[in-house]
Formats: sequence, structure tokens, C-alpha cells
Amino acid sequence: MSKDFDIKNIAKLASINLSEDEQKELDNDLSIILEHVKALSDLKLDTEQKEIFIHPLEKELELQEDKLVESLTHEEALSNAPKSKDGKFVVPPSME
Amino acid sequence: MSLQPTIGIETHIELNTNTKMFCRCGVVDTEDPNVSLCPTCLGLPGALPVPNKKAIESITLLALSTGCEITRKGMFHRKNYFYPDLPKNYQISQFDLPVGLNGELEIVIEESTDNIQIERVHMEEDTGKSTHSGSGRIESATSTALDFNRSGVPLVEIVTKPVITSSKQAVAYIEELRQLAIDLNISEGRLEKGNLRFDANISVAPEGSSELGTKVEIKNMNSLRSLERAIDYEIERQTKAVEDGVEIIQETRHWDENKELTSTMRSKEGSADYRYFSDPDLPNMYLSEDFINQVKSTMPQLPKKQREELVDTGLSLKQANILSKSDVWIKSLYFKVHKQTKDSEASFNWITGELQGQMRKSNIEKLPDWFSYEYLSEIIELIKNSKISFTSAKVILSELLNTDSTPNEVAEQKNLFQENDTDKISEMIVQILEENQDVVERIKTGEDKLVGFLVGLVMKQSNGSVNPGMAKELLLKKIED
Amino acid sequence: MDITNLPIRKINTLFSKKELKPSELYSQIFDNAANSEASLHAHLTLFEDENIKKAKESDSRFDSGTAESLLDGIPIAIKDNINIKGYKTTCSSKMLSNYTSPYDATVIKKLKESQTLFTGKTNLDEFAMGSSTENSAFGLTRNPWNTDFVPGGSSGGSAASVGARSSIAALGSDTGGSIRQPASFCGLVGFKPTYGTVSRYGLIAFASSLDQIGPITKTVDDSRIIFSAISGDDPRDATSIVNNQVDIPSGKSAKIGVIKELMEDGISDEAKNEVNKVTEILKSNGYEVKEISIPIIELAISIYYLIAPAECSANLARFDGVRYGLRVDGNTSYEMMENTRAEGFGKEVKRRILLGTYALSAGYYDEYYGKALQARKEMIDEFTKAFDEVDYLISPTTPTQAFKAGEKTSNPLEMYMSDLCTIPANLAGLPAISIPTGITNENLPLGVQVMSRALSDHSLLNFSEIIEKEIQFNQQPKGWV
Ligand SMILES: [Mg+2]
Ligand SMILES: [Zn+2]
Repeated sequence: MSKDFDIKNIAKLASINLSEDEQKELDNDLSIILEHVKALSDLKLDTEQKEIFIHPLEKELELQEDKLVESLTHEEALSNAPKSKDGKFVVPPSME
Repeated sequence: MSLQPTIGIETHIELNTNTKMFCRCGVVDTEDPNVSLCPTCLGLPGALPVPNKKAIESITLLALSTGCEITRKGMFHRKNYFYPDLPKNYQISQFDLPVGLNGELEIVIEESTDNIQIERVHMEEDTGKSTHSGSGRIESATSTALDFNRSGVPLVEIVTKPVITSSKQAVAYIEELRQLAIDLNISEGRLEKGNLRFDANISVAPEGSSELGTKVEIKNMNSLRSLERAIDYEIERQTKAVEDGVEIIQETRHWDENKELTSTMRSKEGSADYRYFSDPDLPNMYLSEDFINQVKSTMPQLPKKQREELVDTGLSLKQANILSKSDVWIKSLYFKVHKQTKDSEASFNWITGELQGQMRKSNIEKLPDWFSYEYLSEIIELIKNSKISFTSAKVILSELLNTDSTPNEVAEQKNLFQENDTDKISEMIVQILEENQDVVERIKTGEDKLVGFLVGLVMKQSNGSVNPGMAKELLLKKIED
Repeated sequence: MDITNLPIRKINTLFSKKELKPSELYSQIFDNAANSEASLHAHLTLFEDENIKKAKESDSRFDSGTAESLLDGIPIAIKDNINIKGYKTTCSSKMLSNYTSPYDATVIKKLKESQTLFTGKTNLDEFAMGSSTENSAFGLTRNPWNTDFVPGGSSGGSAASVGARSSIAALGSDTGGSIRQPASFCGLVGFKPTYGTVSRYGLIAFASSLDQIGPITKTVDDSRIIFSAISGDDPRDATSIVNNQVDIPSGKSAKIGVIKELMEDGISDEAKNEVNKVTEILKSNGYEVKEISIPIIELAISIYYLIAPAECSANLARFDGVRYGLRVDGNTSYEMMENTRAEGFGKEVKRRILLGTYALSAGYYDEYYGKALQARKEMIDEFTKAFDEVDYLISPTTPTQAFKAGEKTSNPLEMYMSDLCTIPANLAGLPAISIPTGITNENLPLGVQVMSRALSDHSLLNFSEIIEKEIQFNQQPKGWV
């Protein structure tokens, strides 16, 4: 197939820092898989406008009442934090 | 070549629900970090979202009140981007099927109105809050601290079409939207708390041009003042660039509140590809006729309609607009006082001027229980019938805010009724003239201004109870005699 | 009598009659696990200490006659992508190797209410992505029938645990066959319920619209008992549904269809033979059996490998090193997240995240993800049509018997193909079960899959029980008890 994807860009979007080797390997894997799924583009369906659903049984969304339910304590919320200080999660600087 | 600015505004309104958008954690107003969290709003593995009914009712109410078409078959999408204060690294939002489409909002500037076209109204969840620490400037932050209490708080995003042409219009639009949200009781509408946050898309193009110029997005505005200044700054910057033949780059700029200028945040090249797709955790949302009718039945009177009613009482549009953006008790006070006095001007001035002024000065947040709207009517009537002076009226009002009595009682007690008995006043004047023969002589030789001095003495001696007009008239008459 | 080989109902009777104590059963189960663990590596964690105490509590409930649930004191293994409060939930990923869940999944809550004992957490393909349990960051699991072979996946640890009688039953999760395929490879019953009947709250999501929790057991009745205990509408899962079962015939009036597309090239003769064996028995018992064509099944793998990766690319975005799990530092938050995700995810997980990211990205959505959604809808329609003609659809569960460890790790597509028969039920949300029916020449078990319309789970189990009785599989791997 025509190779129309850029593995570096995809990895950037997915926020995964790939090594050169990984890039090469995944580039190849994705090509093979995309070649296979291309079969779908030949598929001719009765109508182009099949309604897009997400729940396979087409269940409708139910809404919940605006009532408070107690949940995690402050300690539980931070219990898995790789780094925290003064009750906050701490990460390296996140400037734009 | 004259350049015309075009502005579109995206506003995020934080709803006043008890709980968050997709979980039942409380929406809290606290400095204590990370105290209102559950697996869902902290993005823990395995947790799932369930939408808040009240939030959907609120957004539907807003969409209906702005005349939007309601999307009966809607859905939630995931907007994917990595940011440390976004716990799932996607925001649940709405993409091509928002709750409301194609509405409008009437705004007022001075004595005229405009309709701002609204493109869409959609529902989404808020992020957590980042605090950057280091030397205090973002660029040199050494770490970022995260509080997720705000994560998942329901937000309504309202996007206008690019139809706004000045910073004045932009400000009037936000003021109107804020009041609407308050009147609908869907948000606290407090700008200082970030209940409303806005981004503006600004471009300039030659007047009459059918195409818009390159658009620049300004973020980080949280007050009307910064909105106004940022827009003015940006229009000027872009106009100058076009005039100098410098290309305008499509980018996102940041409004620096201290330096009062906008600066580049990121350019379009590196712009995100949000990979929107329908959230598989949330089935399609169908808003039934019944649901919409039930929401409609809770609709209060809208600001636009309020203004019409106020104008009908005799107020100008500007005055009506001021009242429509005031607290509910002020609006209703106006209607009551006006109903009794039939005097729109006096009712408006006494309420929005003296009453609110005195309350602000004395830090009184709400009217004391004993204070009846009838007191204001009484005061207005007393002035109208020359029973008290304007100065006395102010004294009476101040007294009424502090003690449980009526205007007549205060006037009586403080001896503030204007003396309209000519004989009594004449007696007083004769005495004053005798004591001030020198002044009388000077007046006779043409120093007219000194009449005022004598009037002042009359007022002083009578504790202000004399009608000053009448005192002056009588004084002149006696001097001539 | 080997007590660990008994069905749940029988064990419960023995408990009630005080002929067996839960603590005795547990101690036998734990001994089995201790014996086989080094060879099979079915579990990532075994909970011995607290279970001795819990088993004793169960003893006293049976002593005092206060035990109410069929599952009281029954040792069940839990796939390690289901959260149990206070225990590690790793998803067999380096990303979560130190993650302790602060909450219970809904299925765990329900099993706790039933007084079930959790024997431990079972190994899986990382984040349930795989078909062999070789993609575990903590080492592969081996097939108890022959340790040269894989147990299937991704619930391979759960299947190996029940197979080696290290637990009476196990919970797995099934996104494209992850319960049924390992059940088939290990000579067990694996049941994927109708999508939405079992809450996904607390199941670490792989692909939300496809994932479903279900049991891996020795008998159909055991699956029925567990399904009854864990199913039900959950207010914490918007996709969960009220388990309103529809009754379809399971006796001789039931009509059976053999799926044409799953009896063609790509399916081994052995697998076809198992299907034929079952249909012959059914025919001889008076059932009507015919061939049914569902042409879109040819595209099942393609549809699945767009939808599942697309959903997983967003579902796994939350693993970023910010709030929990692995963190690999960087100069900025973004670098930290990129480094963490590079280090924390294994190759297959990365492959699928990237594939899904691409399928959703600007310019490719319509061609890939959008098309897959349309095709998925077509598949549901074709199944609906098929169920107008027949009540049950039969096919092989897997194209082949279990393969050797390492045999399919080099070519991802080849591994994907092993899910050909199981994927359609996930795409259409249908209940599907794998029943063990035979042993191959290499002395490995094989199963047959039966599917039925949505919400006919109970009828499907009843019908499967008829097949189970006729086939009399009754075999178990040797050397573990
Ligand atoms: Mg937004
Ligand atoms: Zn929450």
C-alpha cells in the first residue's frame, strides 16, 4: 500500500517516546496491519449513512441525579502518587 | 484602506450543580487540594463516567433560552490531548452533535441593542488546576503541582459566530451571558472565581471584504477588563501589522495581565490533532420531547423580556439594562416602588443611586428585615410634596437602614420636615436680618451672592426643616421692604 | 474424591451438609496452586493469609446455617485487570507494577456480598491485548495440558488456574475472545455474557464497547451461578443494562445454525470436526441444524483491529506517570509522560495504541475508524437476520488447538487471526460460550462456540448444558492435583 503515515508523528500524538529501532519495527508492523484492514475500504454497504452508534445494543444514555456520594479520601487519592507535596501531585514543569 | 475587526468568543460557564459532570463527587470551593475525588474524576484505571442530569437540564435551559435548536439525538465525544491536569488525557466533550445549535443573544450598548449569533452550546468537563512553581514565571517553573478538585466539574461552552466587531460588544455580550446564566440559576456567574472564562478569536480584514483575515486566538482572560484590553491590544497589533505589510500568523496568544500585551503561546503548525471520537463509555443521549418540555417549564423571565418590561415603566434602555443586570431584589424593589410612585426616574435613581450607594458604603449586604419598599415610596412622595429636602431624605434613608422606624417617624424625630408656614419662617427671618444688618447692606449694594449665606443661616437655625426655596423668596421680599 | 474437581452446586451441598468445610477446600486449592505455580505461572498474586481467616468465617456460617449464597466459601481467581480494593492491579504491565487499587470493581463488590474467596490475581496479556498470555511483563503462563503450549489469552492465567484446579472458577474479561479462546485451549467452559449485563466498572478498559467480564469454569452450571452473581444494572456504568432475559427454546424445538464463514479455509480440520461432532449429536436428538451465512464475518478481524485499537488508544492515555503507576522522569511534564509510556508499555500495547491513534487521526478517521463503525453496524444487522432463522449459531471457538509458546509472536497478524471465530460476538454484543468437546491428537483440548441473540444468556446456558451432557467431556489435565 501507499505508505501515508508518519510513525514519528503518530508516536508524538500518542505521547510515546520511541527508539529508532522501535520506530522501524512498529512502522513495519503497522504497514502490515493497515494493508490487511484496507479490505474494509472495498466494502460497499447499502447506505453510506449508517447511523453511528456506540453501544452495540443501542442502549440510550441514562442520566443520574445530582446527589453527592462520598468516595476517595484525600489519602487514598494520593496513595499511588509517584511524587506529591502539600497534598498535591507534583510533576516536572508543564509550560506550554 | 480601513480595516474591520471580526471577533468570535468561546465562553466556558461553570455550572452550579452539587456534583460533578460524570461522577457524584461534590463541586467544592476550597483551597484544600485533592479532597473531592473519586476513581472517575481522578482518572483511575477502570473507572467510568455517568452524566449528571441536572447539568444536562441546565445546558438545555441555556440552549432554549438563547433560541438554539436542540439536538434531540446527541452524543459525547472524547477530545484527546496530553496535559498533566487532564486526568484521562482526554476530555469528554461534544463534537458534531452538541446540545444546542444556531441561537442568538440580544446585547445592549448604551441606548441600542444588537443580536449576537451563537453557533453552538455544548457540554464538557473541566480539568484540574496546575500551579507552576519556581521563580514565579511560567517559563522558569521547576515543577508543577496539581489539584484535581475541579476535574470533572460541568462546563457549558458557548461559541459565537464571528460576528462581534468591537471590544465594547464583546464586553456587553459577556455581561449579558453572565446575567442570563444567573437568571436561569445554572451558574453562580462569578467572574472572580473563574465561573466564566473566555477565549477570543480575532482577525482584521479590509472593510467590505468578503473574507476574514487570519485568525488569532487569545486565551487566559478572566475579567471584563482583560477581555476589553486584550481585544483592543490585539486589534491594534494586527492593524499595524497589516499596514506595515507584516504577515499575521495563525496562532494562539496569551494575554499577559501585568504587561498588558498578548504574546505567542503556540503556532498552528504544532496544533493538536484532537482525534475526536464518540465516547464508547457513554451511549447516545436522546433528549425526549417530555424532557425538553419539562426543562422549558422551569424557564424564568429572561433578561431581554425584563428590559422590555422596565422600558415600559418609563425607563431608558440603558437604565433598564442596568436594572436587568442587578440582583433580583433590586429589580423587584424597583417594580414595587415604581408601582406606588409611578415615578420611574425617581424610583430608579433612589434605588440604583442612593440606596445601593449607602449600602455599599456601610457594608450592608442585604436590606434589613424591617425595611419596607414602601419607605422608599414614602421618601419619594415626601420630596415630591416638598415635605422634606433632598438632603434630609438622605439622612432619613441612612437612619432607616440602621433603625426600625418609618420615614415619617425619622423626619418627625429629627425635625426634618420642611417648614412651610410663612408666618413662622418670617418671624425667623426678621430675627436673622436684624442680627446681620451688615450683610443686608452689602446685598442692597449688589452683592447678590450673599443671599445664599442668609438662606444657609435660616436652614441652620431651622435644622434644615425650612423649604430653602421658600426661605430665599421671603428673604428677598423682606430685604426689598 | 478430588474435591477441587467438583462443580460449585455439589460443593455447596457438601458444605451445607457439613461433609466438607470451606477451609478444607481452600487449603486443598492453595496446595494445588503452590504445586503448579512454578510450572504454569497462572497467578501474579496469591492471597493466602487473609483467605485462611475468611475461609474460617465461611466455616462458621455453614456451621450456624447462616450461609445464604451458593458462592459462599468458593475460591475464585480474578484476572489482574479487575480492581480489588487494597490489592495490586497490574494488568501484567510494567506501567502498573506498583499500583494498588483504592476501590472495588462492581463485580468484586457483588462477589464479596456472595462471600466468595478470592484466591489471587491471574496473569494476562498486558492490558488484555493478546491471545496467548505471552505479552505479560511478568512472564508467560503455560497451558496445564502441556506446558510447551500457550493457555490462550488474554485470560490465560484464569484458564490455567481453573485448569490446574488452583481455583474452583475464575473471572476473565473478553474483548475479542479473551475468555472463550483460553477456555477452549484449556478444556474449560468460557462464557462471555451479553454486552452490558455485567458492569465494567472497575475493569481496566481495553476497548470499552467490546469488553465484558465473564466466568471461566469447569461446567456450564458453574458459569451460570457466577453470571447470576455478577450481572445486573450498575449506576456506575452507563453502558450496563437491566438483565431482562428473553427466553428462547433450548429443547428440541430450537433451531441451530452453523456459521458457513467459520467452517472454511483458515479453520483447521480438527476444529471443524468438533463442530460436526456436536451437530451430528444434535441432529440425532431431533434438532434442526442448517448452514447460515454471515458474509461480513470475513471482515471481522479488520473491523476489530480498527475499533479496538482506536478505543484503547484513548483508554490507555491515562497511564502517564502523573497520578499513579510508573514514572520515568523528564525535563518537562511532556517528556516525563513520553518517557513513562515508552518504558511502561510493552510492544503489543504500543502497536495497538499507535494503530488506534492513526485510525482516529485527522484525515484518516473516515477511511478507517468511520468505515469500521459502519461495518460493525452491518454485522449487527446480519446477526439479527440470522437469528430470525435460527436460535443458536455454532462454530469452532478457535481455528486451531493451542499453539506452542513463541510460535506466533513474530507476526502480529497471525496472532490476530486466532480470534477470528470469537470476535464477531464482541462486535455485535452477543452472548457467546465455549464448551469443551474433544481432545486432539496432540492431547490438547478443543471447544465449540455457541452464540445466541442479545439477552438470551440463560437460554444459551441451558442449551449449552444439553450439549455438555451429550458430549460428556469430563477430562482434566494430569499432574497438578
Ligand atoms: Mg472546550
Ligand atoms: Zn469524582
